[in-house]
Amino acid sequence: MAEKSIFTEKEIAFLRELIRQGVPFMIVGLAAAALQGAFVVTQDIDLWFADLGDPRIARALKKVGGSYIPPSHLSPPLFAGKSVELFDIVTAMHGLDEFGSEMKRAVDIPLGSVTVKAMPIERIIASKESTGRQKDLLALPVLKDAAATIKAKTKSKRRTRRKRSKS
Amino acid sequence: MGSLLERASVSKTAFYSLVRKDDILPRSICSIASALDVSPLAFLEEDVEAIKARRLIKEADAIARAHPGLDRENVRHTLLMLSMEPIERLRRGLIRGRKIDIH
Repeated sequence: MAEKSIFTEKEIAFLRELIRQGVPFMIVGLAAAALQGAFVVTQDIDLWFADLGDPRIARALKKVGGSYIPPSHLSPPLFAGKSVELFDIVTAMHGLDEFGSEMKRAVDIPLGSVTVKAMPIERIIASKESTGRQKDLLALPVLKDAAATIKAKTKSKRRTRRKRSKS
Repeated sequence: MGSLLERASVSKTAFYSLVRKDDILPRSICSIASALDVSPLAFLEEDVEAIKARRLIKEADAIARAHPGLDRENVRHTLLMLSMEPIERLRRGLIRGRKIDIH
Protein backbone atom coordinates (compact mmCIF):
# COMPACT_ATOMS: atom_id res chain seq x y z
CA MET A 1 0.00 0.00 0.00
CA ALA A 2 1.25 3.47 -0.84
CA GLU A 3 2.14 5.90 1.93
CA LYS A 4 -0.85 7.93 3.05
CA SER A 5 1.20 11.01 3.85
CA ILE A 6 0.88 12.22 0.27
CA PHE A 7 -2.40 13.49 -1.11
CA THR A 8 -4.25 13.64 2.16
CA GLU A 9 -7.45 15.22 3.44
CA LYS A 10 -5.98 18.72 2.99
CA GLU A 11 -5.73 18.32 -0.78
CA ILE A 12 -9.14 16.64 -0.91
CA ALA A 13 -10.55 19.57 1.07
CA PHE A 14 -9.45 21.97 -1.68
CA LEU A 15 -11.07 19.85 -4.41
CA ARG A 16 -14.22 19.58 -2.30
CA GLU A 17 -14.30 23.34 -1.87
CA LEU A 18 -13.86 23.94 -5.62
CA ILE A 19 -16.79 21.60 -6.27
CA ARG A 20 -18.88 23.19 -3.53
CA GLN A 21 -18.25 26.62 -5.02
CA GLY A 22 -19.29 25.28 -8.45
CA VAL A 23 -15.94 25.97 -10.14
CA PRO A 24 -15.71 24.18 -13.51
CA PHE A 25 -12.40 22.30 -13.51
CA MET A 26 -10.94 18.90 -14.25
CA ILE A 27 -7.81 16.93 -13.41
CA VAL A 28 -5.65 16.49 -16.50
CA GLY A 29 -2.22 15.09 -17.39
CA LEU A 30 -0.51 12.12 -15.79
CA ALA A 31 -2.37 12.49 -12.49
CA ALA A 32 -5.63 11.97 -14.39
CA ALA A 33 -4.07 8.99 -16.17
CA ALA A 34 -2.92 7.49 -12.85
CA LEU A 35 -6.41 7.93 -11.39
CA GLN A 36 -7.78 5.86 -14.27
CA GLY A 37 -5.22 3.08 -13.79
CA ALA A 38 -2.12 4.00 -15.80
CA PHE A 39 1.15 3.04 -14.12
CA VAL A 40 2.80 6.44 -14.44
CA VAL A 41 4.77 8.79 -12.24
CA THR A 42 3.92 12.41 -11.65
CA GLN A 43 5.09 15.16 -9.36
CA ASP A 44 1.98 17.30 -9.41
CA ILE A 45 -1.72 17.21 -10.02
CA ASP A 46 -2.60 19.36 -13.00
CA LEU A 47 -5.89 21.23 -12.77
CA TRP A 48 -7.47 22.77 -15.85
CA PHE A 49 -9.97 25.54 -15.09
CA ALA A 50 -12.61 26.94 -17.44
CA ASP A 51 -11.75 30.45 -16.25
CA LEU A 52 -8.77 31.21 -14.08
CA GLY A 53 -10.30 34.59 -13.25
CA ASP A 54 -13.32 32.91 -11.63
CA PRO A 55 -13.62 34.55 -8.16
CA ARG A 56 -14.90 31.25 -6.74
CA ILE A 57 -11.39 29.81 -7.12
CA ALA A 58 -10.06 32.47 -4.76
CA ARG A 59 -12.89 31.72 -2.32
CA ALA A 60 -12.05 27.99 -2.38
CA LEU A 61 -8.37 28.80 -1.84
CA LYS A 62 -9.17 31.05 1.10
CA LYS A 63 -11.19 28.28 2.76
CA VAL A 64 -8.17 25.96 2.78
CA GLY A 65 -5.54 28.58 3.53
CA GLY A 66 -4.07 28.75 0.05
CA SER A 67 -3.48 31.66 -2.26
CA TYR A 68 -3.15 32.41 -5.95
CA ILE A 69 0.01 33.85 -7.48
CA PRO A 70 -0.87 35.45 -10.84
CA PRO A 71 1.40 34.79 -13.84
CA SER A 72 4.34 37.06 -14.48
CA HIS A 73 6.73 37.20 -17.40
CA LEU A 74 8.99 34.89 -15.37
CA SER A 75 6.55 32.31 -14.07
CA PRO A 76 3.18 30.71 -14.84
CA PRO A 77 0.21 31.14 -12.48
CA LEU A 78 0.67 29.22 -9.22
CA PHE A 79 -1.11 28.13 -6.10
CA ALA A 80 0.74 28.72 -2.84
CA GLY A 81 0.16 27.14 0.55
CA LYS A 82 0.53 23.72 2.18
CA SER A 83 -2.93 22.50 1.17
CA VAL A 84 -2.53 23.32 -2.51
CA GLU A 85 1.18 22.91 -3.25
CA LEU A 86 0.59 19.58 -5.02
CA PHE A 87 -1.63 21.26 -7.58
CA ASP A 88 -0.41 22.86 -10.78
CA ILE A 89 -2.49 25.19 -12.88
CA VAL A 90 -2.95 24.33 -16.54
CA THR A 91 -3.98 27.22 -18.74
CA ALA A 92 -4.24 25.36 -22.06
CA MET A 93 -4.15 21.78 -23.32
CA HIS A 94 -2.26 21.19 -26.56
CA GLY A 95 -4.09 19.63 -29.47
CA LEU A 96 -7.47 19.42 -27.75
CA ASP A 97 -10.81 21.22 -28.01
CA GLU A 98 -11.76 24.12 -25.78
CA PHE A 99 -12.51 23.48 -22.11
CA GLY A 100 -16.30 23.15 -22.51
CA SER A 101 -16.09 20.39 -25.13
CA GLU A 102 -13.43 18.49 -23.19
CA MET A 103 -15.46 18.82 -19.98
CA LYS A 104 -18.36 16.99 -21.68
CA ARG A 105 -16.02 14.04 -22.24
CA ALA A 106 -14.60 14.10 -18.69
CA VAL A 107 -14.99 11.02 -16.52
CA ASP A 108 -16.14 10.97 -12.90
CA ILE A 109 -13.56 9.65 -10.47
CA PRO A 110 -14.34 8.99 -6.80
CA LEU A 111 -11.48 10.45 -4.81
CA GLY A 112 -11.87 9.89 -1.10
CA SER A 113 -15.02 11.70 -0.08
CA VAL A 114 -15.43 13.66 -3.33
CA THR A 115 -16.04 12.82 -6.98
CA VAL A 116 -13.92 14.81 -9.40
CA LYS A 117 -13.91 15.23 -13.15
CA ALA A 118 -10.83 13.91 -14.95
CA MET A 119 -9.78 13.98 -18.57
CA PRO A 120 -10.21 10.54 -20.19
CA ILE A 121 -6.93 8.73 -20.86
CA GLU A 122 -7.55 8.76 -24.65
CA ARG A 123 -7.66 12.57 -24.62
CA ILE A 124 -4.49 12.75 -22.49
CA ILE A 125 -2.78 10.61 -25.15
CA ALA A 126 -4.08 12.89 -27.92
CA SER A 127 -2.71 15.94 -26.12
CA LYS A 128 0.69 14.39 -25.44
CA GLU A 129 0.95 13.28 -29.07
CA SER A 130 0.32 16.80 -30.25
CA THR A 131 2.92 18.53 -28.05
CA GLY A 132 5.83 16.57 -29.52
CA ARG A 133 7.86 17.25 -26.34
CA GLN A 134 10.27 14.46 -25.48
CA LYS A 135 8.94 13.90 -21.94
CA ASP A 136 5.39 13.62 -23.31
CA LEU A 137 6.43 11.24 -26.08
CA LEU A 138 8.25 9.05 -23.52
CA ALA A 139 5.02 8.59 -21.56
CA LEU A 140 3.02 7.53 -24.62
CA PRO A 141 3.80 3.77 -24.76
CA VAL A 142 2.72 3.26 -21.12
CA LEU A 143 -0.38 5.43 -21.59
CA LYS A 144 -1.41 3.61 -24.76
CA ASP A 145 -0.91 0.18 -23.19
CA ALA A 146 -2.86 1.31 -20.13
CA ALA A 147 -5.74 2.60 -22.29
CA ALA A 148 -5.90 -0.71 -24.18
CA THR A 149 -5.77 -2.71 -20.94
CA ILE A 150 -8.52 -0.64 -19.32
CA LYS A 151 -10.66 -1.13 -22.44
CA ALA A 152 -10.04 -4.90 -22.45
CA LYS A 153 -10.78 -5.16 -18.73
CA THR A 154 -14.01 -3.15 -19.08
CA LYS A 155 -15.10 -5.38 -21.98
CA SER A 156 -14.42 -8.57 -20.04
CA LYS A 157 -16.29 -7.18 -16.99
CA ARG A 158 -19.29 -6.40 -19.21
CA ARG A 159 -19.15 -9.91 -20.70
CA THR A 160 -19.07 -11.47 -17.21
CA ARG A 161 -21.99 -9.30 -16.10
CA ARG A 162 -24.03 -10.27 -19.19
CA LYS A 163 -23.27 -13.98 -18.63
CA ARG A 164 -24.23 -13.67 -14.98
CA SER A 165 -27.52 -11.94 -15.71
CA LYS A 166 -28.39 -14.77 -18.12
CA SER A 167 -27.55 -17.55 -15.63
CA MET B 1 -22.77 -11.78 -2.30
CA GLY B 2 -23.46 -10.57 -5.84
CA SER B 3 -20.64 -8.02 -5.78
CA LEU B 4 -18.24 -10.52 -4.20
CA LEU B 5 -18.92 -13.02 -6.99
CA GLU B 6 -18.48 -10.28 -9.57
CA ARG B 7 -15.12 -9.28 -8.11
CA ALA B 8 -14.04 -12.92 -8.09
CA SER B 9 -15.40 -13.45 -11.64
CA VAL B 10 -17.42 -16.44 -10.43
CA SER B 11 -20.91 -17.04 -11.82
CA LYS B 12 -23.84 -17.68 -9.50
CA THR B 13 -24.29 -21.09 -11.14
CA ALA B 14 -20.71 -22.07 -10.36
CA PHE B 15 -21.04 -20.80 -6.79
CA TYR B 16 -24.26 -22.67 -6.00
CA SER B 17 -22.99 -25.88 -7.58
CA LEU B 18 -20.00 -25.59 -5.22
CA VAL B 19 -22.27 -24.97 -2.23
CA ARG B 20 -24.29 -28.11 -3.04
CA LYS B 21 -21.20 -30.35 -2.97
CA ASP B 22 -20.47 -32.41 0.16
CA ASP B 23 -16.76 -31.91 -0.28
CA ILE B 24 -15.07 -29.38 -2.50
CA LEU B 25 -11.65 -31.02 -2.35
CA PRO B 26 -10.69 -33.77 -4.80
CA ARG B 27 -11.01 -37.20 -3.18
CA SER B 28 -7.35 -37.99 -3.97
CA ILE B 29 -6.18 -34.96 -1.94
CA CYS B 30 -8.24 -36.13 1.04
CA SER B 31 -6.80 -39.65 0.71
CA ILE B 32 -3.17 -38.45 0.57
CA ALA B 33 -3.79 -36.15 3.54
CA SER B 34 -5.31 -39.01 5.47
CA ALA B 35 -2.32 -41.27 4.66
CA LEU B 36 0.05 -38.54 5.84
CA ASP B 37 -2.12 -37.91 8.88
CA VAL B 38 -2.40 -34.20 8.10
CA SER B 39 -5.31 -31.94 7.33
CA PRO B 40 -6.10 -31.63 3.59
CA LEU B 41 -5.93 -27.88 4.18
CA ALA B 42 -2.15 -28.25 4.55
CA PHE B 43 -1.99 -28.64 0.75
CA LEU B 44 -4.00 -25.48 0.25
CA GLU B 45 -2.06 -23.14 2.47
CA GLU B 46 -0.87 -20.35 0.27
CA ASP B 47 -0.28 -16.69 0.65
CA VAL B 48 -3.38 -14.76 -0.44
CA GLU B 49 -1.12 -12.18 -2.06
CA ALA B 50 0.56 -14.92 -4.10
CA ILE B 51 -2.82 -16.14 -5.31
CA LYS B 52 -3.78 -12.59 -6.28
CA ALA B 53 -0.46 -12.07 -8.08
CA ARG B 54 -0.84 -15.32 -10.01
CA ARG B 55 -4.39 -14.40 -11.04
CA LEU B 56 -3.16 -10.99 -12.15
CA ILE B 57 -0.35 -12.51 -14.24
CA LYS B 58 -2.84 -14.90 -15.85
CA GLU B 59 -5.18 -12.04 -16.71
CA ALA B 60 -2.28 -9.93 -18.04
CA ASP B 61 -1.15 -12.85 -20.20
CA ALA B 62 -4.65 -13.26 -21.62
CA ILE B 63 -4.90 -9.55 -22.52
CA ALA B 64 -1.38 -9.46 -23.96
CA ARG B 65 -2.17 -12.56 -26.08
CA ALA B 66 -5.34 -10.94 -27.40
CA HIS B 67 -3.51 -7.66 -28.14
CA PRO B 68 -0.07 -8.59 -29.50
CA GLY B 69 1.22 -4.99 -29.62
CA LEU B 70 0.95 -4.50 -25.86
CA ASP B 71 3.83 -4.75 -23.43
CA ARG B 72 3.00 -7.51 -20.95
CA GLU B 73 4.55 -5.62 -18.00
CA ASN B 74 2.57 -2.48 -18.79
CA VAL B 75 -0.58 -4.59 -18.89
CA ARG B 76 0.24 -6.24 -15.56
CA HIS B 77 1.02 -2.93 -13.90
CA THR B 78 -2.21 -1.40 -15.21
CA LEU B 79 -4.23 -4.35 -13.89
CA LEU B 80 -2.50 -3.94 -10.54
CA MET B 81 -3.44 -0.26 -10.49
CA LEU B 82 -7.02 -1.11 -11.45
CA SER B 83 -7.27 -3.38 -8.42
CA MET B 84 -6.74 -0.32 -6.18
CA GLU B 85 -8.98 2.60 -5.33
CA PRO B 86 -8.32 5.71 -7.51
CA ILE B 87 -6.88 7.65 -4.55
CA GLU B 88 -4.34 4.87 -3.96
CA ARG B 89 -3.38 4.88 -7.67
CA LEU B 90 -2.75 8.61 -7.52
CA ARG B 91 -0.72 8.35 -4.31
CA ARG B 92 1.50 5.69 -5.90
CA GLY B 93 2.11 7.86 -8.95
CA LEU B 94 2.92 10.87 -6.79
CA ILE B 95 5.23 8.97 -4.46
CA ARG B 96 7.23 7.53 -7.34
CA GLY B 97 7.23 10.89 -9.11
CA ARG B 98 8.58 12.68 -6.07
CA LYS B 99 11.24 10.07 -5.39
CA ILE B 100 12.67 10.16 -8.91
CA ASP B 101 12.75 13.54 -10.53
CA ILE B 102 12.15 12.90 -14.21
CA HIS B 103 11.49 16.52 -15.12
